[in-house]
Amino acid sequence: MWSNALRRVAIFAAAIAAWELAFRLHLINPLIIGSPSLVIQAAIKDWRGFLDACGTTALELVISIAISWSFGIVAGTALGAMRMLGAIAAPILSALIAIPLIVVYPLLLAWVGIGPESKIAFGVLSGVFPIALNTLIGVRATDRAYAQMATAFGATRLQLIVQVMLPLAMPAIISGLRIGTSMILIGVLVAEMLGAAAGLGFLISLNRTLFNTGAVYLGTLLALAMAVLIDAALSRLERHFGAWRPPIHSQA
Amino acid sequence: MSARGIVAGTADAIVVRSVSKSFGAAAGGLKVLDDISLNVANGRFVTLVGPSGCGKSTLLQIIAGLVPASEGEILIEGEPLAGPRPSATGIVFQDALLLPWKTAAQNVEFPLALRGGDATRRRARALDMLALVGLAEVAESYPHQLSGGMRQRVAIARGLVEDPKILLMDEPFAALDEQTRTKMGGELLQIWERSSKTILFITHGLTEAIFLADTVLVMQARPGRIVERIDVELPRPRSYDMIGSEYFGRVRNQIWHLLAEQVP
Repeated sequence: MWSNALRRVAIFAAAIAAWELAFRLHLINPLIIGSPSLVIQAAIKDWRGFLDACGTTALELVISIAISWSFGIVAGTALGAMRMLGAIAAPILSALIAIPLIVVYPLLLAWVGIGPESKIAFGVLSGVFPIALNTLIGVRATDRAYAQMATAFGATRLQLIVQVMLPLAMPAIISGLRIGTSMILIGVLVAEMLGAAAGLGFLISLNRTLFNTGAVYLGTLLALAMAVLIDAALSRLERHFGAWRPPIHSQA
Repeated sequence: MSARGIVAGTADAIVVRSVSKSFGAAAGGLKVLDDISLNVANGRFVTLVGPSGCGKSTLLQIIAGLVPASEGEILIEGEPLAGPRPSATGIVFQDALLLPWKTAAQNVEFPLALRGGDATRRRARALDMLALVGLAEVAESYPHQLSGGMRQRVAIARGLVEDPKILLMDEPFAALDEQTRTKMGGELLQIWERSSKTILFITHGLTEAIFLADTVLVMQARPGRIVERIDVELPRPRSYDMIGSEYFGRVRNQIWHLLAEQVP
């Protein structure tokens, strides 16, 4: 019997082979749809350029994620712990998430230039609101009985928030991080495609106008790889914080 | 004997003087506690029994410093109360309220950890308390791995970890099944006899109230007030056989009638 992993590799290889075959038999238009061999050619020809682009995009992503996570969690926690402010902020955050913020990207370009700063700014703008909103909702929804318990045992307000409410809200926060981080990835790539001089999105966009189909596909595959990596990291984080998860409310 | 007009002695761990509590605006507000006075002498086990909604939990929250009284005064070990005093009063709630990401030992250590200090000593103290409630072997288990009764015992260990003179208990066994509840009552008495704490224990169970207590305070609802104070004249240590005694039945009946007066 084949193992599952082996079967998956075989199916993948068969699909690649069929694709290449269809291309060689001229069943598909090479200007619109590339082929595996074109992707490999593009990689060999311009591996240096793609490596640089990956580095640029990864750096923009890491900085956007760092800012969005820390600012989103801190702001969301503060707003969730303060009932009045939270009630005001929650609908505003919802609205900000619903607006297609891409319309402000030209303004960002004008304000901070075509370099990585505008990509980081747009990444943060895309990701920070869902993270803040989920954190706010999670913290606000924590069982008040736990807060009372901690207060009775002498917890300060800060201890109560950091040591009790924040961990209790962790499932909601992590789902916010999931949504927010995928929004950041989309935001950074779209920003690069719309106006940039470097990065993966820029290379995809540039090669598309030059009809370098292989290079477009290579860029797309690399962007997908980044998405998969980010998702894997978040799943790990979720498992780490989910260890105690089973019954939160069934405590007698 | 009436519970009103008690003069506070120096040997009183808890003194409640003319405490009233209203929620909402003073005029149209809901009065949940009306002129409550009580005292609990050092080392005594006092139960407070009353129907649901009589304000007994609110009274305990006021004594714990979690909720301010609208009127009146609380003295804990002779000092006026202004907020939670965890070094003087430990507390156990109806739900165990263990932090689910902490082990049993870490949960017991939680009040100590809030104040920092030597981690090794804190942990040793937490393990001692777990041993006291008979749970030394599950120190590294998480709350969801423990039974309801075990979780509540961890909560009791947490309530005792700072070695407070007073333990406040808010229907701590109400969520447990009958057998576990009876057994936990017996264990609580053993812990109390060994540790010489003052315990104020809230319940709506008559049997539990009488079995555990030196003194039973009976509350009625709307507004919550203490209508009777009954000294339980059963010898210590208590045994489960006493529950079937003629005396026990009479006291139970007396309380039952006090509470039944209110049932529409």
